[in-house]
Amino acid sequence: MSDKHQHNPEEHFREQHLMLDPMPRGKMNDMVMDSMNTTSWKFWVVFAILSAVVAWGLFYSWGKMILEGLGIAGVNRPSYWGIFLVNTVFWIGISHAGTFISAILRVFKAEFRRPFTRAAELMTTFGLVQAGFSIFMHMGRVWLSYWLMPYPNQRGLWPNFHSPLSWDLLAITTYLLSSTMYLFLPLIPDMAMARDRSTGWRKTFYKILALGFRGTEGEWTHLRNAMNIFAFAIIPVMFSVHTIVSWDFAMATRPGWSSTIFGPYFVVGALHSGMGAVVIVLGVVRATMKNMKYFIRPEHFEAIGKLMLIISMTWAYFFFNDYIVQWYGGDKWTKTLLHFHEAGPMGWMWFGMLICNIAIPWAVLWNRKWRSTPWIVGTVGLFINFGMWFERYIIIPVSLSINRMPFTWRMYQPGVEIPLGIGTLAFFILLYMAASRLIPLIPVWEVQEGQMAHTLTKFGRETVVTVSELE
Amino acid sequence: MTNEKSLLAVFSDLEPAADAIEQLRHLGIHDDCMNVISGVPVTEAMLGRPHQWTNVPRLAMGGAILGMATGIFLAFVSPTSYEIQVGGQGFAPVPVSIVVMFELTMLGMLLSTFLGVFLDSYFPNYRPMHYVPEVSDGKIAVLIECPQADEQKITDALKKLGAESVQMAEAQHL
Repeated sequence: MSDKHQHNPEEHFREQHLMLDPMPRGKMNDMVMDSMNTTSWKFWVVFAILSAVVAWGLFYSWGKMILEGLGIAGVNRPSYWGIFLVNTVFWIGISHAGTFISAILRVFKAEFRRPFTRAAELMTTFGLVQAGFSIFMHMGRVWLSYWLMPYPNQRGLWPNFHSPLSWDLLAITTYLLSSTMYLFLPLIPDMAMARDRSTGWRKTFYKILALGFRGTEGEWTHLRNAMNIFAFAIIPVMFSVHTIVSWDFAMATRPGWSSTIFGPYFVVGALHSGMGAVVIVLGVVRATMKNMKYFIRPEHFEAIGKLMLIISMTWAYFFFNDYIVQWYGGDKWTKTLLHFHEAGPMGWMWFGMLICNIAIPWAVLWNRKWRSTPWIVGTVGLFINFGMWFERYIIIPVSLSINRMPFTWRMYQPGVEIPLGIGTLAFFILLYMAASRLIPLIPVWEVQEGQMAHTLTKFGRETVVTVSELE
Repeated sequence: MTNEKSLLAVFSDLEPAADAIEQLRHLGIHDDCMNVISGVPVTEAMLGRPHQWTNVPRLAMGGAILGMATGIFLAFVSPTSYEIQVGGQGFAPVPVSIVVMFELTMLGMLLSTFLGVFLDSYFPNYRPMHYVPEVSDGKIAVLIECPQADEQKITDALKKLGAESVQMAEAQHL
């Protein structure tokens, strides 16, 4: 602490912590509204470029694949699963951050979560949209996707509920609906706030979404109860989704996939990439949106940085556990596959995965000053996302490239998957940019509630932060 | 009733609002004739108000039961009509059925929780309602239904207790 701060610890705490630096509610509302309503020309340039990328990468390329068939994709014997499923797993992983931050940190009353729960929840919903797109791309004949649904028909078609792929449909649908509802519930009071401060089409838009919310005792009671139920119930749903995704692989008795630890390993991997994505989003939001420096502070990056470090260590533990058990087993084909991962043509990706997921986070995030610096943590988040995408690529097409029948061995060469993958990424960013203009990214009432609960108390000569439990 | 009036008192803070509610009770206003409107969740205990009833947990439980029943139907009943032999497994083995039942139970519970908020709060509601937009700026409003004869007495008492304004509540489009 500097001399100035030693003399005035309260000022030091206010500078550091949003919860100890309250502003009048009206001012915070104005700041959030201002951040939504202020749009520079740079925003529209990026928006236009991304729209063009989406039009080309997602809609044109997908349309072309629908017209010409899956043959223009790189999936073929022996790698029948390629980048479409890599991206599906990747985007479902990204979606885990929202629930982790919003639900788990809410249950454990981690106060630093308050200003960025919505930013994370939006990632969940938009990430799942991309995951859904990627799965439909993989299906090829997407217009027949209703065959997945259980409905009485004369052809005797029925989903095979013994299959992890059917469980996937149930789990992803449950998670998409739940996370969208969980995004919407705490948004209602902020929509009412926006309704009270808007005119024109925005007023109509917010009025519709605020549903007539006024903030009566009854409305808050119902909302609080529902949010508590969601916070607890959505956690097992989140765990189930990525566990079931892992079972798509682990239920097959093939080298590299058949692993009892795949469920938790995938869940931790999802959290790893999700948290990495959250810091990237928060860094961009803080740097580009008006007034966000008040709400999103270095303390938040510091707290997320710590979580990222812990999750990185947990991921390393699961990775090593999975690796050593397979290596020790001595099965010929498993050993061949492990050697192929490390020393084969995609060996650079295997080492890149370890560098991005373990070496870089550990080398940077141990340092409090570094993990409090938004651009440094954001860069680590970017590396983690490269690392986690590499991990999924290695598990899916690289592991499928070799099998127990050497005459079928062939490296996977992606085709139309590349523009489609770029298209989903661009669409995710585009949705986020559109949402940042329409939805208050900061849950103002939650921030105010947190600020009401935090006070500074003197214990002897020391000033400490105390938090009251208001619920 | 024609001799009933609706007053809306706005307070800048929680403390005077809680004092005002207590005073209103002394003046003979029943708790059912008061409602507090706030921009942050304020618990009943903070304002000395009676416990608020909510059906949301019960609806959640009902949804969970309905979801589980759907899961049981899909996992155990539907295979009898569409028999699928998978890897030597029975038609409806318990381990795989647990997954189906779990997902549908959770889906039923969360959907009904969400709908429960709509049902209990009468959402969406776009009719004119008593409201002051200052509430979302952090003010606390107390909505009071009182006999017309007591209007002046109550207004004076509320102003004395620190109400920033006490006005006739008029239903307006939000």
